[in-house]
Amino acid sequence: MGMKITLEQNTAAAEDCASRIEKRFGGTGITCSVEHHSNALKMAFVRITTPPQHWPALAKWLRFDLGVNHCSMITGTHFPDGGADRGWEVAYHFMRQPIQNQAPHTQCVHIAESLKGDDVPMEFEVLIPLANNNTPSVPSVQNIWVGADWNEKETWDLVGIQFEGHENMHRVLNPHDSPEGFHPLQKQHKIRYHEHNEMYDDAQGFLRKPADEGRVK
Amino acid sequence: MAQMWITMGPQHPMTHGLWTLRVKVDGETVVDTEAELGYIHRGVEKISESRDFTQITPYCDRLCYVSAMTWANSYIYAAEDLLEVEVPERAEYIRLIAAECQRLASHLMWLGAFGPDIGSLTLMTWCMRDREMFLDLLQELGGSRMHYNYPRVGGVKRDIPIGFADRLVAKIKLFEKRIDEYEMMLDESTIWLVRLQGVGYAQAEDMVNSGVTGPNVRAAGVNYDVRWAHPYSVYDQVDWEPAVEKPTSVKGADCYDRYRVRMEEMRQSCRMILDAIEKIPGGKNTNYANGDEMIQSKAPTRAPEGASGFSNYECTRGASQFYIQGGGDGRGKNPYRLSIRSPMFITIPYVAKTMIGYKVADIPAIMGSFDPCIGETDR
Repeated sequence: MGMKITLEQNTAAAEDCASRIEKRFGGTGITCSVEHHSNALKMAFVRITTPPQHWPALAKWLRFDLGVNHCSMITGTHFPDGGADRGWEVAYHFMRQPIQNQAPHTQCVHIAESLKGDDVPMEFEVLIPLANNNTPSVPSVQNIWVGADWNEKETWDLVGIQFEGHENMHRVLNPHDSPEGFHPLQKQHKIRYHEHNEMYDDAQGFLRKPADEGRVK
Repeated sequence: MAQMWITMGPQHPMTHGLWTLRVKVDGETVVDTEAELGYIHRGVEKISESRDFTQITPYCDRLCYVSAMTWANSYIYAAEDLLEVEVPERAEYIRLIAAECQRLASHLMWLGAFGPDIGSLTLMTWCMRDREMFLDLLQELGGSRMHYNYPRVGGVKRDIPIGFADRLVAKIKLFEKRIDEYEMMLDESTIWLVRLQGVGYAQAEDMVNSGVTGPNVRAAGVNYDVRWAHPYSVYDQVDWEPAVEKPTSVKGADCYDRYRVRMEEMRQSCRMILDAIEKIPGGKNTNYANGDEMIQSKAPTRAPEGASGFSNYECTRGASQFYIQGGGDGRGKNPYRLSIRSPMFITIPYVAKTMIGYKVADIPAIMGSFDPCIGETDR
């Protein structure tokens, strides 16, 4: 029969992680809360918000004290109207996975319901809001999680967020000869039919009027 | 001896897609590698910002053309998290069956492409033959062979047709025997064993830290699987257990272990489907009308600013994840930002580095055993 991490296990582990983070980093500007997903199973995860200057210390502590061993994804978002403190945001998603190296010809079969303590798989969401300027930048965690390497390359390539200390940064999805400073997921780049109504009312563009209509005799 | 860079790809049978592996060789030995991606970058993330939540599903189908159903499901779970929707149980069962059929089809595609890499061209024809059974089944659900646009926010597009259950069970039972046939052919083939055993070692902790997920990690001896670790759907109610292998060396799992774990995973998917079709609420031979509350629940179309949705989904190649932020154009009808985590995007650079120290002739075996898919990698 199939198995799963129960909501009790999951919530208890999330609260344990949150209280440890609070104990270690409370009062430094790092906030931490236990959130629940809003779909059917309502599983819990840990959401951490940190200013960029504390991120390297927090990252090292997460990796080596809390056992967060897997960097899943990094998302950069551009908020041109987000106010002075939140013009950009970097969202990291980490997973804690109970995985160790196995000796030859052995295997480790976890029974989900009997996992305890730090062995319970847990999801971490780290949000780093950045000031509203033209040079967003956060410290790189490439040397803590190898998996963050290409995620950071992608985030820089598409969104234009600098990762200080990232070695061998280069374009990965855009062409290598893209113009410097071109990062397509920034909000000033519009794609065709970006206006919602225009897309529906006039999908093929037949009704669209020339930009200078009314001014030309 | 002089070292030199050679370029494999973008058109090379090893790539299983369109990308370039630059290899630095010293005689026959690989001493350094570099992966170059992005040849088929389509900008799905940017396009999604100008589409509403229903319109994004077809784009997610096309992320990976051999595993469309799992990618669409993965997106839908994130959208449901964002829009706060609960799905009827019958729809969850149908999604589970559809996703596992897709997993079988995808693994067959992998095996079919992996065979010619190793030198067994027969395997390709066998796998394509069997994959057709599952494409037919998925066509009954979604209406087309490869891109189904089947899941909806809050349910599925239409119910399973009358008679689908019988055809499904017959095909799965036939396919279970076919898996035995594959193993009889491959596990006694000297070429297969010589090319795969002792090649391409990868350790569990190394892989996790480098971002590798899914069957590739389970081959290294730990039964970690998103389907139980971050549960979604009804996987706890059906009969299965995660496929897991025993690594053969202190250096971790080799290509042969990764082949074994996928064969076992196909068996588990069969087991899961056979059980799920019996347990499906509402009965396996009923057909509810489109939009019936058994298969579709009401879903809002707008998400407020500041809301976010996240899904962690066991796709056929590892954990695929979507992160969606609400409050985009059209007063929240579009996502403000949609971000996709592709398992292969992280795995390919890792695999490129594991090849160092092996022979040039081992590159197709190592790369193929990790099951690369470039559609999802480049997005």
